[in-house]
Amino acid sequence: MRDSLSKGIFRLPLNSTLKLGKSWPAPQNASKIRRIEIYRYDPESGENPRLDRFEIDADRCGPMVLDALIAIKSEIDSTLTFRRSCREGVCGSCSMNIDGHNTLACTKAMDDCRELIKIYPLPHLPVVKDLVVDMTHFYAQYASIKPWIETQTPPPADRERLQGKNERGRLNGLYECILCACCSTSCPSYWWNGERYLGPATLLQAYRWIADSRDETAGERLNELEDPFKLYRCHTIMNCTDTCPKGLNPAKAIADIKKLLIERQK
Amino acid sequence: MNFQSPLARARGLGSVRAGSHHWWRQRVSAVALFPLTLWFGFSLSLLPQANYAMLTHWVSSPWNTLLLLSFILLSLFHGVLGLQTVIEDYVHTDWIKIIGILGVKLVTAFLALASSLAVLRIVLLGGHG
Repeated sequence: MRDSLSKGIFRLPLNSTLKLGKSWPAPQNASKIRRIEIYRYDPESGENPRLDRFEIDADRCGPMVLDALIAIKSEIDSTLTFRRSCREGVCGSCSMNIDGHNTLACTKAMDDCRELIKIYPLPHLPVVKDLVVDMTHFYAQYASIKPWIETQTPPPADRERLQGKNERGRLNGLYECILCACCSTSCPSYWWNGERYLGPATLLQAYRWIADSRDETAGERLNELEDPFKLYRCHTIMNCTDTCPKGLNPAKAIADIKKLLIERQK
Repeated sequence: MNFQSPLARARGLGSVRAGSHHWWRQRVSAVALFPLTLWFGFSLSLLPQANYAMLTHWVSSPWNTLLLLSFILLSLFHGVLGLQTVIEDYVHTDWIKIIGILGVKLVTAFLALASSLAVLRIVLLGGHG
């Protein structure tokens, strides 16, 4: 009874309440102390999420937030869980909410953060553990836009499909997307309607294939996108463009899709 | 157990191939309302102490009737498009969503009829009918 009440329309689920967790003091002889607060949650433990506080010696680790996370995991608390791989902003694994902004831990310098660096998982996705979120639906949405060239014309027998400089230029600002999901998970429309709204990352990718001169299915792609929920939940809030760690502009890509949908009715 | 694949979930029931009109009408009506709202505000500010006779006279002048009806109908139209978007954004219970959108459309249509009738009564019957 208490459980069903607590999940009623007037209260958030029980596991949304954060508690203050453990505190780890700075090592002795630390010369440059940085304070870091990290969201910790293990859904299988049955316990509520907690905020652990760590103090690290910034002089004894690299300059980026990811360096601090790795230092914490190898020297203080090995149970801290996060994704990382390339450590140079190419793979998109270490996307998380740092200092109130979705970004990549590997390209965010600790010196650019506030005095207490707060680190949370990407917003509004199910948490698997600590900073690792379940991105199954996000990837499925990406797969749903058929992110590959579709053609009717067979490829030339002796070479690949060619592209002019201008045609290739149209992919600039689109091909660089690494699918880190920072933009989609910063978008309120994606929070409220993420089941059906494709979100800025997937829509930018959808436009990337519409804009590709080698693809022959722009019309079918536009057909698939023309939907009040898949596309038109975008209300130009611009959080996506504001937060993109690669400096891309998903809001503009979405606007370009909307423009093409009007243009083809002329 | 739910064995549906993530891709099947993401695709859902597919695209409805609509929505562009709604989006475009919202933009066009917003642009058209800009001069109409300026005209309406400017006209009201010129009628600070209007009595009943002055006001009905103002409404009855052909240009004012035309612009007033345009302003009323267009702002209600713009409003209904916006409210539908708000309901679609925030209401996630199907039956409430359907009733909400239908209700907004019916109430707005009623308001459009009522306000048009009010203006036309003043114009055609001089406000004394």
